[in-house]
Amino acid sequence: MRLSNVKTRGETGLDHVMQSINVLTPFGKKRMKEIKPFMPGEEEGLSEEFRKLEELLLLAENKPQIAEELAETFMDMKDVSFTIERSKGNALSVVELFEVKSLLLKMKRITELLVASESKLSEEFLLTDTGSLLDTLDPRRDRMYTFYIYDDFSETLGELRKRKREIEIRLRKIQKEIKLEIDRHYGITLTPKFDYTVSKSNKELVKIIKEIPELVAGDEDYLSVTFHLKGTEETDAVNLEMDQLNERIEEEELIIREKLSEEIFRTSPILLENCSKIGALDFTLAKAVYAKQHSCIKPELVRDHLIEIEDGRHLVVEEILNAKKKDYCPVSIKLFDGVTCITGANMGGKTVSLKLVGLVAILTQYGFFVPCKTAKVGLSNYIHILIGDSQSVQRGLSSFGSEMEELKEILDNSKDRSLLLIDEIASGTNPVEGLALTKSLVAYLKARPYISLITTHFDSVAVGEDIRNMQVRGLEQADFQKLEKELRYANRRERIEIIQKYMDYRLYQADNGEEIPKDALNIAKMLGIYDEIIENAKRYLKDGHS
Amino acid sequence: MGLLSQLKQKYKTLSIVGMAKNAGKTTALNYLIEEAMDEGVVLGITSTGRDGESTDLVTGTDKPRVFLDAGTIVSVPVKLYELADAGLEILSMTNYSTALGQIMICRVAESGYVQIAGPVNTRDHKKMCEEMLAFGAELILIDGAIDRKSIAAPDTSDAIILATGAVLSRSIKKVVEETAHIVGLYQLPVLEDGDAKSLIIKNQDKEKIMLVKGSRLVVLDLKTGLAAGKYLDEAIDEETDYIYIPGALTKSVISEIHPSKMKTVEFILKDPTKIFIEASLWQQLRKKGFTVRVLENIKVAALTVNPYSPSGYAFEHELLLREMRNAALGVPVIDVKLGGVFYEVI
Repeated sequence: MRLSNVKTRGETGLDHVMQSINVLTPFGKKRMKEIKPFMPGEEEGLSEEFRKLEELLLLAENKPQIAEELAETFMDMKDVSFTIERSKGNALSVVELFEVKSLLLKMKRITELLVASESKLSEEFLLTDTGSLLDTLDPRRDRMYTFYIYDDFSETLGELRKRKREIEIRLRKIQKEIKLEIDRHYGITLTPKFDYTVSKSNKELVKIIKEIPELVAGDEDYLSVTFHLKGTEETDAVNLEMDQLNERIEEEELIIREKLSEEIFRTSPILLENCSKIGALDFTLAKAVYAKQHSCIKPELVRDHLIEIEDGRHLVVEEILNAKKKDYCPVSIKLFDGVTCITGANMGGKTVSLKLVGLVAILTQYGFFVPCKTAKVGLSNYIHILIGDSQSVQRGLSSFGSEMEELKEILDNSKDRSLLLIDEIASGTNPVEGLALTKSLVAYLKARPYISLITTHFDSVAVGEDIRNMQVRGLEQADFQKLEKELRYANRRERIEIIQKYMDYRLYQADNGEEIPKDALNIAKMLGIYDEIIENAKRYLKDGHS
Repeated sequence: MGLLSQLKQKYKTLSIVGMAKNAGKTTALNYLIEEAMDEGVVLGITSTGRDGESTDLVTGTDKPRVFLDAGTIVSVPVKLYELADAGLEILSMTNYSTALGQIMICRVAESGYVQIAGPVNTRDHKKMCEEMLAFGAELILIDGAIDRKSIAAPDTSDAIILATGAVLSRSIKKVVEETAHIVGLYQLPVLEDGDAKSLIIKNQDKEKIMLVKGSRLVVLDLKTGLAAGKYLDEAIDEETDYIYIPGALTKSVISEIHPSKMKTVEFILKDPTKIFIEASLWQQLRKKGFTVRVLENIKVAALTVNPYSPSGYAFEHELLLREMRNAALGVPVIDVKLGGVFYEVI
C-alpha cells in the first residue's frame, strides 16, 4: 500500500522540493526517481538515511570547496551502464571505450576528493578501487580524458603502424623523386596530390605532357585534362603492401578492443556498484545542500504517532515571499491522534498551515530534512490532503462532487496511523447540510487512530469534546487605524499585500467554547467592497437573519 | 612563405563560404588542407553543419571526404567516428549535439579520410573553436555556409575564404562581376568609432530605422524600409547625416529617395549580408553618390575559383584567373584545380 497519492505529493510541496534538488549525475537522477518512503517500523532505516545526510551536510559545511569540486565532477557524467553491460561478449567501440575510461577517471577523482575531505563517510559512499582497469585502458598512465587505440596497447600494433608510416613515407618519397625529375626535365610542377591539369587549348603543352612516360591522363573534359603519376612496379608493390598492412592493423585493433571489453566485463559488477554509489552520493549531497540553503533540520523520529512543528515554514510559500523580499511568519503546531481544527480569519493562512503539516510529515518519510526550528515526527501509514483544485472542475465535476469522490477515497484507504489533512470540506454546498456533514465526519474521525487536521469556517465544528481548536491569530493584534490609513491610498494589489503584512499567521490553542472571531466582513471591506453592502450585512447579522 | 603560413599569422579562424551551391567549397577546403600539409601548419577542421558527405545532399554531385594528416584537430560527431578511415584520438566529448550524435574533438593519429561536422549554433561553434585552438590547432578552417545567402553573421570567424566558380554563370564576365561585387560589399568600410556609432549601437536592439542628425538621434517607428521608401524620403532632411537600417537594403528601399539626398546622407547597415542589390544597379547608385557603411564588415582572406560547373561546362583556367585577379581588389586568388597563389596576402 502506498503512503500517498500523486495529488498529495504535489499539494504538500514534496514535488516542488524534489524538483529544486540539484541532482547532477544520471545515477543520482535514477536514485531520486526510484525513491520510496520509509513506513512505520522502518524508523531505523530512516535514522540511517538521516545520519548519511548529516555526514554530507557536515562535509558541505566544513569543506565547501570539496563539495563544489564534487559537483563539478558529477556535472558531465554519462550513463554508461548500457555500455558496461554490452561489454559481455562484444568488442566495444572506441567511443564506448573512451566513455568507460572517462568514467574510471571520474571515479578516481571522486575517491581523491572524498579522501581529501577527511570526512568520516558511510560505506555506501566509498567507491571500490578500479585503478587496475584504468591502467589497462590508459597504458601510458597519463590519466588524460582522451582515448585512442594507442600503439602502446600491443607491440604488434605499434610495429604494424610503424611499418605503415614507413611505407607511406617511402611511397611519398618515390613520388616526390618522380615529381622532381619531371620538374627538372620538363619544367612542370605537379600539385601536392601529384597531378597536373592543363588546358586543351594549349595543344603544345598537352602534347609534351602526353609524352612524359611517368604521367598518365586521367579526368578529362572538352576544355582540360588532368594527368596523374603512373604507377610503377615499385609503387604498385608498395600499395599492395599497404593494403595488407591496413587489414592487419584493423584486425589487431579489433583484438585489442575485444581484450579491453573483456577486462571491462570482468570488472562490471564493481563498476555498476560504483555507479550506484555515485548515485547515492550525488543525491544525498544534493539533499544536504538543499537542506543547508533552506535551513532545514533533522526531524526527531518518535514511535508514537504524532507531529510537532516548531516554527515551520512552507517552502513553496517561503520561496514566493523571498522573491518579493518578504519574511515568512513561521507557524508552530502539535498534533496527535484525534481531530484538530484550524479556524480563524480569511486570508489567515489556514490552508498553508495545513499544507505545512503535510510537507513536514511527507519530507520526513521520504528521508529529507524539514523546514522547521525543531520537529518531532511519528511515521504515518497513510497521508492524504483533501484540497479543492481546479483540475476536478475541468473534468466537469462540481467542486462538491469531486470533494466527495476524494473523501470516499480517504475513508476507504485510511488505516491505523493515518494523517488526514482536510481543507474546508463541504463549503461548496448549502451551509445547513454542509455543517451537518462536517460534524458527522469529525465524529467519525475522532474515534479512529488518525491524526486529522481540518480547516473550517463552521464554528460549531471546532467545539466539542475531544476536538482541539487551533486558531489563527489573524488581525486581532493589528493596529486597525494604521491599517485603514494605509489601505486608503492603495490599489488592488497593494491592498492584499497590506493585509498580509498585518496578518499574524501563528496559531494558538483556543479554549473550548471560545468564540471564533469573525473577520470576513472586515476583510471584504478592506478589499474595497462597497460600504452599502458591508453595512447591510452587519445589520443582517445583528438581526439574526441569515 | 606559403599561403597558409601567411593566413595563420593574420587569422585564427577562417570560414570557407561558397558564392553559390557547387562553387567548389569542398574542393577549396581540400586544397587548403593539402597546402597546410606541405607547409606543416597544424589545422583545426570543423564545419557549421554536417559536411564532407560523399555526395552533396542537395544536388547529388560528387563531394569527396576530406583527407587529414596526422596531428590535425577535427570535430567529428559520434555516429561518424566509426566511419572515419583515419585514426582519431578522442580528446574531448563536447556538449554540443547534432542529429549525428554529440560532437567530439579529435586529433588525427593516423592520416586518412574523415567526415566532419560541427555545432549548428554560432555561439557553440565559437566556443568549440577556442577549445580546438587550446588543443594545439594553429589555424581553424570552417567548412561554412553552402552558399553566401545563408551566412549567419560576420562573427562566426575572423575572415572568410570565398569560393566562386563557373557555376555562377556561363559567362566569365558575369562570374567575375558578381564575385567582385560581393567582395566589394563584404569589405565595405566600417563606420568609425564616434558619437554617431555609439548612438546607433546603444539603440540597435530596438531594431528600428534611425536617423542621426548631428548629435541627435531620431528613431522611426519602422523596422524595415521595404515599401516605406516614400516615408524615408520625407524623414531625411538637410540635417540628416546618417540613416541606419536594421533589416535588408533592397532596391525598393532606396528607389523613392530623392537623388539629391543620396549625396548628403550616408546609409549605415549592421553588416554587409543585409545588402540585396545587384552589381549593375550598385554601380549606378555609387556614381550618384550613394554611400554605405557598416557596423561590422567581413574580411575576405582569399578567393578560390573553380573553372568547372557541375552542369558540364568549364572556363579557360588562365582566362578566369586573370580576369578574377584584375577585379578582386587585391584579394589573393587561387585556382583550386591548378593550384598556385597569384597574389600575395595583404
